[in-house]
Amino acid sequence: MKKVVLIAGMLALICSSAWAKAIKVGIVDCYSGPASTYTNDVRDGFKLYVDQVNGAGGVLGTPIEFTTRDSKFKVDLGLREAKELIMREGVDILMGTINSALALALADLSAKEKIPFFSTFSKSAKITGEKGNRYVFGMNENTTMAGKAAAVGLAQKPYVKYWIAGDDYEYGHAIAEGVWDNLKKLKPEVELLGQSWWKVGEPDFTPYITAMLAAKPDAVIIATGGRDCVPFLKAAQATGFNQKVPFFMHTATELSTLMPLGQEAPENVIGTSNYFFYYPETAENKSFVESFQSAYGRPPKVGAMYGYVTAKFIVEGYKKAGKVDTEKLIDALEDMTVDSPVGPLTMRGGDHQVMFPMFMGITQKVPEYDFLKASDIVTIPGDQVMPSMDEIKAARGQ
Amino acid sequence: MDFAANLTLSALGQQILVGLSRTTILFIVASGLSLVLGVLRIPNLAHGSLYMIGAFVTYSVAMALGGGAFGFWLALIVAPVLVAAVSFAVERGIFRHLYDREHLMLLLFTFSLTLVFNDMVKLIWGADYRSLSPPEVLKGFVTIFGLPFPRYNLFLLMLGPVVALGLWWLTNRTKIGKIARAAAVDREMVGAVGINVSRVFSSVFVIGCFLAGLGGALVAPTQNITQGMDHAIIIETFLIIIVGGLGNIWGALLGALIFGLTDSVGILICPQFAIVFPYAAVVTVLLVRPKGLLKSTW
Amino acid sequence: MTQSRFQALVIPAVLLLALAFLPQFGTRFYIYLVSLILIQGLLATSLNLLLGFGGMYQFHHAVFYGTGAYATALVLTKTGSPAWVAFAAAPLAGGILSLLIGVVCVRLSKLYFGMLQISLGSLVWTIVYRWYNFTGGDDGIHGIPVPDAISSGVGAYYFTLAVTVVSLFILYRIIRSPFGMTFQAVRDNPVRCEAIGVNVRVHQLIGMVIAGAFAGIAGSLFVTVEGSVFPELMFWTLSLEILIMCLLGGWFTFFGPMLGAAVIVSLQTFVGIYTEYWTMVLGIVLMMLILLLPQGVLGFFMERWIKISRSEEN
Repeated sequence: MKKVVLIAGMLALICSSAWAKAIKVGIVDCYSGPASTYTNDVRDGFKLYVDQVNGAGGVLGTPIEFTTRDSKFKVDLGLREAKELIMREGVDILMGTINSALALALADLSAKEKIPFFSTFSKSAKITGEKGNRYVFGMNENTTMAGKAAAVGLAQKPYVKYWIAGDDYEYGHAIAEGVWDNLKKLKPEVELLGQSWWKVGEPDFTPYITAMLAAKPDAVIIATGGRDCVPFLKAAQATGFNQKVPFFMHTATELSTLMPLGQEAPENVIGTSNYFFYYPETAENKSFVESFQSAYGRPPKVGAMYGYVTAKFIVEGYKKAGKVDTEKLIDALEDMTVDSPVGPLTMRGGDHQVMFPMFMGITQKVPEYDFLKASDIVTIPGDQVMPSMDEIKAARGQ
Repeated sequence: MDFAANLTLSALGQQILVGLSRTTILFIVASGLSLVLGVLRIPNLAHGSLYMIGAFVTYSVAMALGGGAFGFWLALIVAPVLVAAVSFAVERGIFRHLYDREHLMLLLFTFSLTLVFNDMVKLIWGADYRSLSPPEVLKGFVTIFGLPFPRYNLFLLMLGPVVALGLWWLTNRTKIGKIARAAAVDREMVGAVGINVSRVFSSVFVIGCFLAGLGGALVAPTQNITQGMDHAIIIETFLIIIVGGLGNIWGALLGALIFGLTDSVGILICPQFAIVFPYAAVVTVLLVRPKGLLKSTW
Repeated sequence: MTQSRFQALVIPAVLLLALAFLPQFGTRFYIYLVSLILIQGLLATSLNLLLGFGGMYQFHHAVFYGTGAYATALVLTKTGSPAWVAFAAAPLAGGILSLLIGVVCVRLSKLYFGMLQISLGSLVWTIVYRWYNFTGGDDGIHGIPVPDAISSGVGAYYFTLAVTVVSLFILYRIIRSPFGMTFQAVRDNPVRCEAIGVNVRVHQLIGMVIAGAFAGIAGSLFVTVEGSVFPELMFWTLSLEILIMCLLGGWFTFFGPMLGAAVIVSLQTFVGIYTEYWTMVLGIVLMMLILLLPQGVLGFFMERWIKISRSEEN
């Protein structure tokens, strides 16, 4: 009798896994050019968790498949690829991308096609703000969150006269505005001496640095991101900028910035990030770092955490929904909390934004690594950096 | 904005020096492009890719030799030579069969070269950012006009005139240079007097690409060595040689000076609009002198 | 001669018939892809009016395409005007910008013309890229309210097909008109044209305005199909892409650019499914084509065809 049950069970299992259509995830992201240092990590982190789940029989007995498309940082190309994934591949879920314009276009597309879109690296606050809708999920921090976190941290410092400089595109301006507006609220006496804006991919920062030094500010807010972080820090080190003026740069402490610089990175730079492989020192994070390291031979960067968390939300969402069904998945995800390398994370139901905590630290040389790490880390909890639901509603015109 | 507050004399002097050091790089890369355009009539879009390859090779060679000063200096020689070798292979293998084609076709061909080169860089070096430190003597800064000035920029500043002199010597004092200049003006005539034009073209192409590699090698310690480095430099150097006069090396120098200086001084005076300076400079020059500032060989 | 004329009409007619019935048997994705090819093809054909028939190095054609797209998008999102105004605004904006840039550029020749155009076009791009309040900056404008009748995949397809066919017909007639003939004469020998009293610059300027207007129309079609605009639509790299479509398809033929667009768009879409390194594949394919088919794909076949029909006649 027992044997019969066992055989029947096994048959059922084989049948179900053979017959069940896999859950298909399509990732559109930029895997060429300077942005790929971030996007490869998102993909690998995602794959890590998906492989674990598939190894254990999938979610609800259904395996997860994913396929990637390289958008080359081109919006029109990415949009075409996303449509190809939806219309030709028939994906159930869309994921990506580091390019804000493309992410916004996909947010719009996802609502039209009723396919959930998990935005995994674009920092535009509009994705879950103004352009947010039922099908869009923000799986990383955005400029509003970064700005709020930085303002909370900077308000405790004694600086009054600031200079703002950054990348001359939406991200730079949004970060700068985010920090500045919130800082003015928290500390009304701050004063803005001036601003400078450079083009993305600026070859030489020395002229900007000397111009800023000439204005003699107490501190500088550098609203630059991505590929420009490295050369800016190099120029800061070469001119001794960091010794003359303290400066804050969001993502300055991220591994993708500090690792290439090795011992040549400037010390005492204030930075914020969502994740470090050495912080928080929890068992969850340690095991994540270990499995990532053994799978890919490198420590995970912030993108790997985003990818991993995205996979986890998708899997747990389906489990909670109890059925492979898009609308049920979305309902399940709202206000859901999952454990993650940075502690429990909640998907806010109102705007579908994951409430990531922010870690503010200062770059410092340490004996254990051949690159600088963030030290004196202050954790700014997720609920403090999130824009209020009233602000979101106002942005959406509700 | 507080223009007056920033516009002290010392800051201006400082900014001019910074601009001049940037000029060195722009001049090296642009003169190579101009040389090839002037003599071979090839608008080489792959010039930027070669510049990028130069930077990556510099990084790899320097790191393979331990990342020290010796490795750096050696890489500074090896990288441009390697780039020149690659370009030699391309020229002998493909380009020389195409010299009689339309300029637009050559442009298209060099564009397809960039597609191949850029994916090869991705294949070989991958996605991560690379950073190379300058040798110990060139690290840190010296104080000029009361403001910090990076030693490495000082090095570039001194290197600029050396390269310019070298190019002057090459084009005016060597046989190949003289023939190349003649070929730029009238290629049939040069062929008619019995000179092997093909060999001249090949040498000029290789020298031009060598300069792209040298430019890449020289910026390596100041920049984030990454895919996409080619993008900004190619459009900028094309604009420079247009301003200076196509095919004229001294035009490239003049154009590089204009770009380097308007950029750095512009940042001081009107930092919010730095992004438009180069384009505005080109438009202004071409409106006044439609064929560029110096005599063009086109 | 009459036979080859007959053939020249039959092939487009059959193709048009096939395109008209595509939604009956094609999947959603192919309908969408063909819409894109038509748009890019129209854009490339409008460029080729200058490039192939005018001998002008129009290096920054995308700026007129982008301007048209933004004109349609801004009228639809910022004003309550009826949709036809938005679609009429596209060629108007493209044409006016062409006139402005053209007045400055036509004094120069060849490469200088092209490079000045790149500079001026990049200035326009900078404005669009930075003017957050009006153009949405580098984020672009998304979710543009396209009229319901043409917003679905099939609706957008038929609209695109109809507009493209009419536009191509007009462009064809322009090339065959007395103006078009003079225009080609200017390409072949500007000095002689000047000598017999043709105002070369005025002809080139008119050509630019026409090409700019049709690029603007292509831009408005892009808005119809994608519902988004972003500054990349007027970035110089896109201009290079269209240039390649013309050269690849055959820039001395009328339908070459359309064929080039089909080849490039298909390559981008389908090679990208199999490899991340599709630009390398594209590069190698381009190199082979340049080496083997200097006249472009269509140019190559046309030459063959002419040879065959001539030998038949003999």
